[in-house]
Amino acid sequence: MKKVELPGLDSYYFYEKLENGLECFLLPYENKNNYFITYATKFGSNQTSFQLPDEKKMIKVPDGIAHFLEHKMFEQEDGVDPFTHYAKSGTGANASTTFDSTQYICYGTQNIEENLDYLLNFVNEPYFTDENVQKEKGIIAEEIKMYDDVPEWVLEEEIRKSVYHVHPMRIDIAGTVEEIDKITKEDLYTCYDLYYQPSNMFLIVAGKFDPEKIMEVIHHNKHMQKKQENKRVIEKEYREKATVNAKHKELKMNVVVPKIGYALKIDRNQLKIKDDFLLDLYLQMFTTVVFGISSTFREKVRNEQLMTSFYTHWDRADHFKTLLIMAETTKPKELLQAIREEMQHLTISKEDVERMKKVWISSEVKMIDMVETSVNNMFDDIIKYGKPIANKIEIIRQLDVKVLNQLLQTLDKENCIEVIMYPNEVK
Amino acid sequence: MEYQKKELGSYNLHMIQTDKFKTITVRIVFRKPIIKEEITIRNFLSDMLMLSSKDYPTKRALAIKAQDLYAASIGATNYRLGNYINTNFYLTILNEKYTEKGMLEKSIQFFHDMLFKPNVTNQAFDEQSFKIVKTQTELAIQSMKEDSAQYSVIRLLENMEPDSPLSYRGYGYLEDIENITPSTLYDFYKDMLKSNMVDIFVIGNINFYEIEKLIRENFEFVTLKRTRMPSVIECNKVPKKIKTITEQDDITQAKLAIGCRTVNLTQYERNYPLTIYNILLGGGSDSKLFTEVREKNSLAYTVRSVPNKLDNLLLITAGIAKENFKKAVKLIEEEMKKMEKGEFNEEDIEKAKQFYVTALEESTDSPGRIIDSYYMMELLGTDDIETKKKKMLKVTTKEIVEVAKKVKIDTIYLLEGKEIDEEG
Repeated sequence: MKKVELPGLDSYYFYEKLENGLECFLLPYENKNNYFITYATKFGSNQTSFQLPDEKKMIKVPDGIAHFLEHKMFEQEDGVDPFTHYAKSGTGANASTTFDSTQYICYGTQNIEENLDYLLNFVNEPYFTDENVQKEKGIIAEEIKMYDDVPEWVLEEEIRKSVYHVHPMRIDIAGTVEEIDKITKEDLYTCYDLYYQPSNMFLIVAGKFDPEKIMEVIHHNKHMQKKQENKRVIEKEYREKATVNAKHKELKMNVVVPKIGYALKIDRNQLKIKDDFLLDLYLQMFTTVVFGISSTFREKVRNEQLMTSFYTHWDRADHFKTLLIMAETTKPKELLQAIREEMQHLTISKEDVERMKKVWISSEVKMIDMVETSVNNMFDDIIKYGKPIANKIEIIRQLDVKVLNQLLQTLDKENCIEVIMYPNEVK
Repeated sequence: MEYQKKELGSYNLHMIQTDKFKTITVRIVFRKPIIKEEITIRNFLSDMLMLSSKDYPTKRALAIKAQDLYAASIGATNYRLGNYINTNFYLTILNEKYTEKGMLEKSIQFFHDMLFKPNVTNQAFDEQSFKIVKTQTELAIQSMKEDSAQYSVIRLLENMEPDSPLSYRGYGYLEDIENITPSTLYDFYKDMLKSNMVDIFVIGNINFYEIEKLIRENFEFVTLKRTRMPSVIECNKVPKKIKTITEQDDITQAKLAIGCRTVNLTQYERNYPLTIYNILLGGGSDSKLFTEVREKNSLAYTVRSVPNKLDNLLLITAGIAKENFKKAVKLIEEEMKKMEKGEFNEEDIEKAKQFYVTALEESTDSPGRIIDSYYMMELLGTDDIETKKKKMLKVTTKEIVEVAKKVKIDTIYLLEGKEIDEEG
């Protein structure tokens, strides 16, 4: 168990890699009551085409399988579902799937050791039958339909369809009703065996506990006894073009106020900054200064009453970074025009960068101050950069406005798409 | 954790000292009995105060100042508690240990300026800011329908009891916007300062003496206010007949919302057995509704129940396929009947109690929820955390069954898609 300090945060974590390949991160707190545990695999909705270890052929599993599998992990052979088990000690449990990860969480204040052991057990004991797979299809179909009614969700999907030609980011994390209908228990076991190996997974435990004792629980867990197997997963490489797929798109939905989407697709191979974390910081700095709450852009569109809500997000798909902007507006064309204009004049002042550093440092302190957000923060780091970034505050302090402005100059601002969502006609 | 309350004449100051947090949170709560026609203007006002002030006349200027204070976060929320409307203004900053000396005082001054030095000239709010908020308010009210789950609950309540505060729309009403002008808004602002009851909470690793001094220097209210209006909306009539209402909208998944009355509950029943009843029925993660409706019958992705104690209501909501409407309602009714018959075992109750205890213990890790808890003690005379835990653990099967018999379905509401369905 290695201790890693988190400078500037008054905090630290312990790290250990087990013999089976599982990476464990323990983040102890002395003055909180609660704990939060996540047990995760680097397997998400993007991974649907891959090669099995002993075969040459690339196979394709149905879209939405990672999410389906997540649901089905809660099915146990003894018939007791994990929610019921955790409920005994008032412990909450949940799971979620993203484009590139699946996580199983439990959180509460009681029985941490037993609950951790149970988490490691139930995620390592799949029980898929034809019957229980069939039953799940109804539930997931309802979940997909629920999101079909959420305009923001539909808009986001349309934006990604316009950005990507072939990359699975085009497809909703839950898949489609038609695709999930094809899923069989064999498909689930195939994905499970490949992606739920310890060497593809990690565990974060944060909260009030004794790190030695927690490590002991992990070591003694019955599923942690095997040595690492080297089943390397070979995944399909998508020949995603650097250009966008469709420049302009319009659609109609049951909304009152129109919405717009804008995206800028960036090929990171063309950029000078090679370190992924540093690049993300600079890109994030760019969007916060240019489109954030204290920007001249926001002031302008607010005064011209061009929008009511505004949201930016960075997507990653292999070597692409994509900026997504979504907004609610009564004047969609004018707002898109304003965004395009803003993108043509990107220069950022030192003052803005220095102020934003204060904001980010503050945000790091606030995140570590809550057990759950500290886990989420660490989780994101591991998924994106392979490990937690311990010296974030130092790196933030060193960000340089010149580097940022150079980066902005090299971006191809024409490689963008627009989507407009109008209300259905009044009936 | 150490708590001190000071009655400072026109307001109460509540200070909570703890080393659990790296932040300091200040919350100012204004409250008064709710009036339907004032909801919109009250929302409007808090948005105005958060958009600009005399010294920082634009949102951008405000944001830059807040960022300079190491991302001081300031916000406002409006919500109804029973017969009262509440407005919270809050400030959260880092403890100076992580920033610079003097940040606490500067931040509190800034917070004060936002609330007490509004962007007003000649007895009227700034035109430009006014226009922005007006458009935003209109759009927010119009787009309320886009969240069909939330909209179905609003429509359920309006069908249950249109004239009671329990069905007032938190977003406000389009027709009330027209009467708001920069000068009527300023009148409303002055009246709010004068007539609302005020509580101020400060929590963090603080020094009581220093905080009291800072708050006294910065926050002055002149008048003393009292009201006799009870918080709880009483319910002592059993609904005569269940109303069933179906409405349509452009949606794919139908939204079911069932409104139940909790009739003639004592304060003890509302705070304790009802809580356990709800966790068992549809509040917990392995509740009866979750197990029966979702897991065993695959009828819904979401299904849950929520008690609204101060309104004497219990709401059950589910997202379903519309052809399953009758089946889902029948299942829910059956589960409620089982609760009345006491068809749950000691183990279920024990789980529900542990669920509650964990939530209670977790709440002490959140500054906001600690303040909520002290506020409820102030407002309703609820028990403190330790007493709550003790009393909840003593709730018996008999008490839960007694409460179950007092939960009565009043209205069943379905919001469904518009496509014509052959079956009807």
